[in-house]
Amino acid sequence: MTNTKTRLILALAGWLASFMTAGAAAPSPLVVCYPGGAVNEQDAKGAMDAMLRVVERVGQWPQNSFTSLFSAKAAECRQLLAENKPSFAITSLGLYLELHDQNNLVPLVQPRIDGRASERYRVVVQKGKFKTLDELKGKSLGGTVLEEPQFTGRIVFAGKVDPAGFFVLKPSKQAIRALRALDKGEIDAVILNEQQYSALASLALTNPLEALFTSEEIPLMGVVADSKTSTAEERARFAKALEGMCSDPEGKKLCDLFGIRAFAVADPAVFEPMLRQWNGRN
Amino acid sequence: MRILCLLLACLLSGCATPYRTVVQFDRLSACPRYTANGLNARQNDLGPASETHALECALSFLRGSQDKLLRRSALGSRLCLHLAERSTDAGKREALAWEGVRFAESALALGAESDGLVHYYLATNLALAVRDHLSLAMENLARLEGEMKRAVALKPDVDGGGPLRLLGMLYLKAPAWPAGIGDGDKALELLKRAVESHPGHPLNHLFYAQALWEMEESSAAERVKMEMSTGMKLLQEGHWGYNKAPWDKEFSAFQKEIGDSGP
Repeated sequence: MTNTKTRLILALAGWLASFMTAGAAAPSPLVVCYPGGAVNEQDAKGAMDAMLRVVERVGQWPQNSFTSLFSAKAAECRQLLAENKPSFAITSLGLYLELHDQNNLVPLVQPRIDGRASERYRVVVQKGKFKTLDELKGKSLGGTVLEEPQFTGRIVFAGKVDPAGFFVLKPSKQAIRALRALDKGEIDAVILNEQQYSALASLALTNPLEALFTSEEIPLMGVVADSKTSTAEERARFAKALEGMCSDPEGKKLCDLFGIRAFAVADPAVFEPMLRQWNGRN
Repeated sequence: MRILCLLLACLLSGCATPYRTVVQFDRLSACPRYTANGLNARQNDLGPASETHALECALSFLRGSQDKLLRRSALGSRLCLHLAERSTDAGKREALAWEGVRFAESALALGAESDGLVHYYLATNLALAVRDHLSLAMENLARLEGEMKRAVALKPDVDGGGPLRLLGMLYLKAPAWPAGIGDGDKALELLKRAVESHPGHPLNHLFYAQALWEMEESSAAERVKMEMSTGMKLLQEGHWGYNKAPWDKEFSAFQKEIGDSGP
């Protein structure tokens, strides 16, 4: 995931928690998962708390009414979701697909960035060094999305490549580190998401890069709900609140900060092909 | 509700009057009688080891002074920082930090552009003022980076490598490319330089350990362990005045964070 998504996560954390706990006696946990992110829990907690306090003031809720739980490690996220059984969570698409059945997850809202609610992943190499993806067999692959190798294999490569077996994986917490390593010839390829790929021109790399592989369109993941622990009414209220977030004076400030044009109610049908692909039924 | 939202939006964009709040001090009648020349001459005596009351007295004098030499120096900004760091009240801490920013801005306006200390204390106060306000912090990232870079260029060795330490941590904590200026490689480079050029400052070791841990994780465990050990020893054996307690907490917090998987 990208850092814009990190900030999106933190923004959503604050915004959502306000609605989750409205009228509730005890703070409800909002689990926020950011697998592979270069954010430690302490920093994320601080940022989310700051967000929560703003939301509390805006919404006139008592301070510290809300709480959030954050992890940048996929294994910890699974544990947080299992132990806390939150009604709502912010997860990666990979975790959503993995825990969809187990945690009764339903997608609630999707962000729209640059007018899009989906993205493509690309494998980039130094221009001219390799001609096909097959030539990368046994070569090193870096990138931030490798924290979730199953997602990369089943969704990004559509089940055609098992990254762990095909490449020598070199996960990186920051895409820029992986790209510098690629530029120096220390690794052979880097997998990038849409935002990272679009921003390549802003980097002063010595060697030109080219995409050797481009994935199909993959939906952006936003907020999910546990359909067993939340009611339809609560889910609708959440979704509506988030839809209005970017037109609210303070919410717009946050949306602008995170480069998000709007939040849109998620169409579960968009995720159906992903679920089929995840379960190997395509 | 709408008015509240507008007020908050204004507050978060840095335009609101709360940032002009001036913290009032007690027992000012017990302050020594300062003169501009006298305070200027002994400004290096005022630091982390000074009693809080002494810092408050000096700051109160500066608030009312129009002495150009004093106003052009980093002293006002530095006093605000020391007092802000000691304050347990978030509102007072932020008000003092903002005052430190204003002192530095005023010094720059009076011609202190080439004084690295002024840029350094402007950046440290600004960082402290915005750290609990996400959107405000994001809005000020570029300014923070600019001031810290000026401080590194002009006065990298002040405060035991403070500008290197500060800029390194900014690159470590800020959102990384492509969304922000965060850059783990730059952070590691600056913090390594801080450790090498100022090995006697405990925070240089702590921050370098944090950067290694965040960027290299378990592959740097031995080095993290060594830096933490060196830093803690320096903290326990050195004279760090009022900074000792909060720094000790920072060491403990990081030790706790890395926990069982750490050194």
